[in-house]
Amino acid sequence: MHIPPWAREVADGLVESGIREVVYVPDNPLSHLLRALETEHHALRVTIATREEEAFGIAAGLYLGGRRTAVLLQSSGLGNSLNALSSLLVAYQIPTLLVISMRGEEGEWNRAQVPMARTVRPVLAALGIQTFTVESAEAAEATVRRASALAYGTRTATACLLPRRLTTPEPVNGGVE
Amino acid sequence: MTRLDATRALAQRLGPAAAIASLGHPAYDLYAAGDRPENFYTWGSMGVASSIGLGLAMAQPERQVVVLDGDGSLLMNLGSLATVAVVAPPNLTIVVWDNGEYGTTGGQPTATARGADLARAAAAMGIQHTATATALDALGAAIDAALAEPGPWLILAKVKESAPVAKPPLDCVFIKHRFMVALGSPESAMSGTSVRA
Repeated sequence: MHIPPWAREVADGLVESGIREVVYVPDNPLSHLLRALETEHHALRVTIATREEEAFGIAAGLYLGGRRTAVLLQSSGLGNSLNALSSLLVAYQIPTLLVISMRGEEGEWNRAQVPMARTVRPVLAALGIQTFTVESAEAAEATVRRASALAYGTRTATACLLPRRLTTPEPVNGGVE
Repeated sequence: MTRLDATRALAQRLGPAAAIASLGHPAYDLYAAGDRPENFYTWGSMGVASSIGLGLAMAQPERQVVVLDGDGSLLMNLGSLATVAVVAPPNLTIVVWDNGEYGTTGGQPTATARGADLARAAAAMGIQHTATATALDALGAAIDAALAEPGPWLILAKVKESAPVAKPPLDCVFIKHRFMVALGSPESAMSGTSVRA
């Protein structure tokens, strides 16, 4: 199955950063990234969580034990994460790389995705979690690697956003997935 | 048995195991029963203690990891039981202090006071080793078994609420650093950075 270039590049960026653990709650665009990880990066362990807050708890435990972890989630799932993000990752200065697949922005067809998407950047900013947008496949590896350097060098959670213009450039099925 | 008595029985069996304590009274009692660098006290993130324990057990498969959770906290993150069953780390033990109430917030009843059974929930999710203890000797035997035999384990301890007698250090970052150094974590603050010649 075809793996889009942006997904390969993001996967390469994770591995280049020393990340060996991925914990995720699934999302349609993230499925490409997961396929890239599973087909090309076997040294990396992938664990599925039932809910985003749980994923951040697992990521914190992995870090305490010495493993660098990326948490993959959809923008809607950030709302399920906030207590763990704020009172565990931020309060204890536990670095984690968030990779957030953005729904609810340009190209979106589902009204229910829009309100949470609008909160992603301001909520993360309020928590002191910097966000970096992956603008293209060409920039993806460097964006992820540099965000990871910030996260693990300064021990702060840091986020990479995957916009729909990157992950879903052409509307699927007339815009309905 | 009170939760403090039960926590003391657990603490004296921990050895080199890492202990992750849920916020509030479980963390307070772990500190009172015996502070040590291998204790990780949470001050927030209610519900997530078992997830932290799962991640740590995955990261350090040679080390026993014991989670001190509460019934109210575990009810907030029941999906964790499913994930623990799927990942199935043999070195993870989740101890649930089940007093049937939200003890830290004033004693409001939890669902376990009305019959919800978290050991059966764990078994239903696929955690094969579960035990329920209502007295100290049975609890000690269950903990000894969990630390000696491959898990994951979930031990449900029916306890009476007891007033906290101490609180752990307030500094979250200190707790983290002390814990990571004790575990020899390669990401700990004691680790320098190599420089390429």
